[in-house]
Amino acid sequence: MSTTRLQELLIGFGKGKQTDIATANLVANIWQLKKLNAQLANPKLNTENDADEYGKGHEFATQTFKTSWDVSGTLEKYLSAEVSAWAMAFGLGKVVKSGTTPNFTYTCTPLFPANGDASELPYFSFVEQIRPGAGVVLDRMAVGCAVEGWTITVGSGPGRANSKITVEFVGSGKLTDPSGITLPAATLEKLLPSAALALSINGTDYVTNKNVVSVETSWKNNIRLDAGFFPGSGFQTPGDATTGAIRGRLEFGNRQGALKFTARFDNTSTELTKLKAQTTGTATITLTFDANNSLAITWQKVSFATAELGETDQIVTVAVEATPMYDSTNGIVSAVAKCGVDGICQ
Amino acid sequence: MNDPNKVWLLPPFGQGEPKAFEAKPEILVPAMVAGWTQCDPPASEEVKTDVHD
Repeated sequence: MSTTRLQELLIGFGKGKQTDIATANLVANIWQLKKLNAQLANPKLNTENDADEYGKGHEFATQTFKTSWDVSGTLEKYLSAEVSAWAMAFGLGKVVKSGTTPNFTYTCTPLFPANGDASELPYFSFVEQIRPGAGVVLDRMAVGCAVEGWTITVGSGPGRANSKITVEFVGSGKLTDPSGITLPAATLEKLLPSAALALSINGTDYVTNKNVVSVETSWKNNIRLDAGFFPGSGFQTPGDATTGAIRGRLEFGNRQGALKFTARFDNTSTELTKLKAQTTGTATITLTFDANNSLAITWQKVSFATAELGETDQIVTVAVEATPMYDSTNGIVSAVAKCGVDGICQ
Repeated sequence: MNDPNKVWLLPPFGQGEPKAFEAKPEILVPAMVAGWTQCDPPASEEVKTDVHD
């Protein structure tokens, strides 16, 4: 009897956005990428029972009821031009595509409902397969997923692990099993390694002065999961009230951006001065593979919330946490992602 | 083929006519934040295929 090893796991997800939360991506709009983490996007069926109901003569359950479905997952990957374009577009929510092959440019910003934007993020389908077909072990698709948040970490060192992205997502609960999807070959990704970093924060170029040790930046949508269930939000099997409710919307909540970094600290360092003065400026994190493949994230206005001295490998460093703020012209954050893949979030 | 260095955006709340913008972040980001959203170019912008044989 053969065992099933997790290395066989294939994942694919919507490169383009779904037309609505309940309509799955078509196969032409799905790409396959590799990932690092072992976690599966297991659907969770929430149930309840009749234990508390009177008239049975005892306190024990005699029946169970399917209440609702949850789906969540995490993608941990080496940072590449392709996945960063996808994460920025789906994670921030608003995207303008320009350029042409091999240089598509995706300019991404958060959605602002006050200015007419949607309060729901673009949706995608997420496919997990192990030996799809006759000897299937696993073949399912979560429909109506949205990016809950992303975190990019860049550290010191030559290995790929020094430049990674983690994307968390949640789903409407709607599942298609089997997925009915034949995944395309895995997309060849162009990595954005640590050595490709350019970093300018609050007026200081941390790469030119050779002081940067690590940087981490993140975005979180705080999606209102409970609000996804509303009267009429639907069921796992449309029209069948016994199959458990699914979410009919995934709205973002109070969003949060974060930026922190560690840099070497010497007599020319200005972090403590800027902390005391609450100096504001932009923060730009750029990683470049080549002219056609890159990621540039700009926090439009930051000040330093904390700046603490410490050490890294016996060298004095300063660990800074910045507070991203809203700029009246440019908003909170923007990302410009370039890659050779067309149709991301389109 | 449309100009890859130009994008068409619809005004906030979809009120008004689409407008062409230079595809540069310093131009696009303020417009996107203000509510402009990408749309298809107007039909008149499409380059017609030469049918003279």
